[in-house]
Amino acid sequence: MFEPKRLHPISAVINFVKGLKDAAFPLIALVVLNGGLSGDAIDWIPLLVSSGLLLFILVGGIVKWLRFTYRIEEGELRIEYGLFVRKKRYIPIERIQSLDFSEGIFHRPFQLVKVSVETAGSSATEKAEAELTAIYKVEAQELEELIHQYKQADYSADEEEEEKEIESPRESVYEMRTKEIVLMAITSGGAGVVLSGVGVFFSQIMDALPLGAIYNEVVDWIQIGVLVVAFTALLILFTAYVISILLTLTRYANFRVSIHDEDLIITRGWLEKKQMTIPLKRIQGLRIDENLIRQPFGYASVTIISAGGGISQGAENQLRLLPFVKKENIPIIMEKILEDYSFDIEFETPPKRARLRYIIRQSWLFWLAVIPVSIFFFPLGLLSIVAALGATALGWLAYHDAGWNIREKQLTLRSRTLLRQTFIMKKYRIQSASKQQSILQKRIDLSSVRVALKSGAGGQFAECSFLKEEVVDHVLLWYRPEPLPTQPNE
Amino acid sequence: MGYEPARQISRRALTLWRISGVIQFGVSLLASIGLLVAVLLWEWPAWLLWIAGAVLVLELVFSVWLLPSLKWKRWRYEVSEHDIELQHGIFWITKTLVPMVRVQHVDTEQGPLLRKFRLSTISISTAATVHKIPALDEVEAEEVRQSISSLARVAEDDV
Repeated sequence: MFEPKRLHPISAVINFVKGLKDAAFPLIALVVLNGGLSGDAIDWIPLLVSSGLLLFILVGGIVKWLRFTYRIEEGELRIEYGLFVRKKRYIPIERIQSLDFSEGIFHRPFQLVKVSVETAGSSATEKAEAELTAIYKVEAQELEELIHQYKQADYSADEEEEEKEIESPRESVYEMRTKEIVLMAITSGGAGVVLSGVGVFFSQIMDALPLGAIYNEVVDWIQIGVLVVAFTALLILFTAYVISILLTLTRYANFRVSIHDEDLIITRGWLEKKQMTIPLKRIQGLRIDENLIRQPFGYASVTIISAGGGISQGAENQLRLLPFVKKENIPIIMEKILEDYSFDIEFETPPKRARLRYIIRQSWLFWLAVIPVSIFFFPLGLLSIVAALGATALGWLAYHDAGWNIREKQLTLRSRTLLRQTFIMKKYRIQSASKQQSILQKRIDLSSVRVALKSGAGGQFAECSFLKEEVVDHVLLWYRPEPLPTQPNE
Repeated sequence: MGYEPARQISRRALTLWRISGVIQFGVSLLASIGLLVAVLLWEWPAWLLWIAGAVLVLELVFSVWLLPSLKWKRWRYEVSEHDIELQHGIFWITKTLVPMVRVQHVDTEQGPLLRKFRLSTISISTAATVHKIPALDEVEAEEVRQSISSLARVAEDDV
């Protein structure tokens, strides 16, 4: 491992494809602009430019691969790379939190993996993370083992326990059943995302095509009837939904959580396999999400709030610990993973007088909009009242679902905007706590509490609004490192 | 809010905020003059002037006179051995508690205007959040920074 090593040659291909993806838009634009013109010399320029670009990306991909070496030396992972400017990145091994593996379609045939090196959530400017685009799985495991050994040696230098520490087997603690994955895919909000993707796609196409010619056709089309349009819309919607389901199915296939030493390991994926490692001691808290479709059926998801990783783990999906689970099963499953969090919690709720505030907060904008919308779009505009009623109902739900609990060192806050979110946190993991109160709230003795947790490179906030003031004071007092001698009279 | 943190920020902050209020007012005034010219020269609708006038008056009342003093009166902080407490806000009053164990680093910063007034702003960073105390006397700010950083160093760091 002390020799500088190259990545697998397939990295050049991956670099090329990635470069192609980044340059896709200008390339397509060039080709489209070039299309359908007569054979003047000038018309060849865009084609020349685009093929030049293509060549550049190809050569760039190969050179990038040639230049990239990695090795372990003097307790550091040393990476040297750079297309024009030679760069060296040395990461001290003790700062490496974990190696995450993923296998895309290029990796699978050759037994390769992509390795992402996660360091202790350093600040965004420091950017100490590194990526090995493709190395053999065996090498990756060797690397992991080496890092592991290095850390072990570091920890137990003065203790004589190295014999015992050698290898504890990976223990599987949770597996998702196929039925659950299917149900999750069907009830996910992902359909909306795909739909907006389709929308963007069409708007792009519209811009690229000669509009005048199409316009006439569109007018004809409209004359055929709204029915056709509605049908098409429905079809697109349905297709988007199906695509989203299929995507979720491939992404979450073979979902498994296991524990290895002090690390939590999540593996998932069918076409692209992913493995994430989360050191248990980096876990800052848990969040339970229930959306409006899943909640009535008693399903929820559990997400880990972790200090590790940072920028590259931005997509929250990656830290889903239990993506789709019957809520009543959470305590049993979590007992095997994180035993010091408790889940059977009796929530205390905001006072009755807070109800109106929740409703107003959630719906005032809608009610304000109802009047002008109803007047300007007279008959159809009245439908906005339905939307406002919906918002009102959500406000009532938000009141109904809000709650808090303190048990020993654990604070639990539950709130809802659209999702019902329950944050479960340990006192020693909370970064700061604040109490918020408007002048009007002071008069009727209400106030809100908000606490910050470290999450990736930034923070995540848990809130509970419109509680009794003494409750919020109580939470702050609980959070205060050294309790003041005077307790509040409850 | 019941119990309040003890210390207030520098009285000079008030003057500073008033001055920035006046600068803001000056910018709006210039814009209004431009508008007046436009109305006279190119016959823009005159009701624009009414709006501009209203904005000017409101700005004078709020950002020069009322808001700075309210803001100053409300700003309070306290640094004890175990935690830092901040309280601020005019309509929304926020009281924040940062345990000393959570503090990662403390910075002081000073813009040109602040320097003129011998004031300085303290930023207290935790792993997840940044909290600022604006416009402390620069000597006091330095003291606070030193004491926080020495107190925070004692506390063990496990994120």
